[in-house]
Amino acid sequence: MPLARWALALADNNGRSGSTDAALASGTSLPNLDERALVAEAQTGNRAAFEELVRRYDRDVLRLALNLMKRPEDARDVYQEAFLKVYRNLHRFRFECSFYTWLYRIVTNVCLDHLRRRQARPEDQAPELSTGHHEEGITDFFERQREHRPTQDPERTLIGKEIKSHIARAMERLSPRERIVFEMKHYQGLKLRAIGDVLGTTEETVKNSLFRATRKLRIELGGLR
Amino acid sequence: MSVFEKNVNCKDIAPLLVFYLCDEVNDGEREQIEAHLASCAACSALLAEDEQLQTTLLASRQPADELDASGILLAQCRSELAESLDDLSAPPLQEHWRPFGWLRRWMALRPVWSGALLVLFGTVVGTQVLPLMQNANNTNGQTMNVMAKQPLTPKQFENMTFSGITFSPSPGSDTPNVEVHLNAEQPMVLTGNVEDSDMRGMLTYVVQNGERFDAGMRLDCLDALKTVVRDQQVRGALITAALKDQNPAVRMKALESLRGASSDDAVRQTLLQALQHDSNPGVRVEAVNVLVASLQGDQSDSQETAPEEPVVAPSPKSGGPDEIASIDRVVSVLQRLQRQDPSRYVRLRSAAALRQIGPREVQ
Repeated sequence: MPLARWALALADNNGRSGSTDAALASGTSLPNLDERALVAEAQTGNRAAFEELVRRYDRDVLRLALNLMKRPEDARDVYQEAFLKVYRNLHRFRFECSFYTWLYRIVTNVCLDHLRRRQARPEDQAPELSTGHHEEGITDFFERQREHRPTQDPERTLIGKEIKSHIARAMERLSPRERIVFEMKHYQGLKLRAIGDVLGTTEETVKNSLFRATRKLRIELGGLR
Repeated sequence: MSVFEKNVNCKDIAPLLVFYLCDEVNDGEREQIEAHLASCAACSALLAEDEQLQTTLLASRQPADELDASGILLAQCRSELAESLDDLSAPPLQEHWRPFGWLRRWMALRPVWSGALLVLFGTVVGTQVLPLMQNANNTNGQTMNVMAKQPLTPKQFENMTFSGITFSPSPGSDTPNVEVHLNAEQPMVLTGNVEDSDMRGMLTYVVQNGERFDAGMRLDCLDALKTVVRDQQVRGALITAALKDQNPAVRMKALESLRGASSDDAVRQTLLQALQHDSNPGVRVEAVNVLVASLQGDQSDSQETAPEEPVVAPSPKSGGPDEIASIDRVVSVLQRLQRQDPSRYVRLRSAAALRQIGPREVQ
């Protein structure tokens, strides 16, 4: 009985908001709560509410971290650091922006810190997994089998690898901020205004970053066209 | 007023094509761009290139697609985060009430002072508190266990040297008090009466192991043991010294010390052996004297008795067959000495002794 279990889990939590109390009292389980109510509940110290928030957004957070850091270890560090920061500072969140924006602001700041640290001390970093030669990077057996299916065209596979390798090298040319803007715009699908909110800057600045990133990629990937 | 409203050219349009492609221009800008593209082949080609590039980029597999396609990494991250949250949520360890916690903190920060303090504490407890506690126990009349003094063993004697021995008369006792100064690992002074078995054993050890000690020390010990010659162990040591000691003076002293037990058969045998085999005339004379004294039965006055005075020879009827055989043997030995001893004084002393014993038919 999920509802009964939630009710028991929350029975000894004090200081929750009245609206959440009402929602819980009416039988609404945590997964069904809206973002605001869930955040409010988590702010009272409800661990289950916080974990529900994590489950809602952590897939996107990890994806962003993986795309930016390109190393599972670094992405895992970013994930941990970002969500622990959220947990420690959740009581400071005043609903002046969406929780999603606030969360991404934290995640991108952590990513930027890691990327800058990596640029400052490249000798301390493990080599990035080459997306152009990802066979070595993939540890999952079934993933490797998919790439070696006999029905797949070997020539097409080879070309695909070449393109990925070029893209990876081109992305390396971007600054950390440009990479984040490009990633959030094209792969996360955020609007420039939202990206500006996340990064704590103006939309114009974000536009400039995206323009510079696109120009660099156009130059680097000119041969692919 | 937007720049697109008039004098729109390729230089103005080109930078906006990127945002036009990703739908980040407002309606007015979009109209102007589309109007320009309709009449400008170069910008249209540029837009096509950008579109193709964007398509290529979006079509390529992202690192996230490849690095965590199976979702294992996400599961790991969630698990690690849950553990971290558990650590953060765990209530802080309660500080138990710890008596003298301030003292422990103080000692931890000042190790040298702490060491000195502990040494001082141990010293005070050992020297002041424990004796006080023992006294308190005694006044309560409770049973007190006292460790017996460990007797000195021959093994310990082997590692000791004797640096001095002094005698003092013991009031109310015939035996003197002895004070022995020992040089061992730790110098010590042993004080006690000769009657004390430990003290007696120590003096006996000196006599028996004469080669390890100087002659003066051996003489002192013999002097002390003279009063306890009735002890079998002491008597054995004296006999050994009388026969085997390298120093004639010691052998003489040993014979003299045996005077109190001269009636003992073993002692008499020793006297006879000394009489016949000792190389020193003085020792042989001493043996004669002791033998005569033993035969006279008045050991204490034998020396003072004039040799020429008539003596009462022990009557054969007063002793048993063993006694008679013993006396005959003594007489026989004395007669041989009287004739053959290389020392004139020994010969004279033997003749005097024979006279003291009286005429006998030696069997």
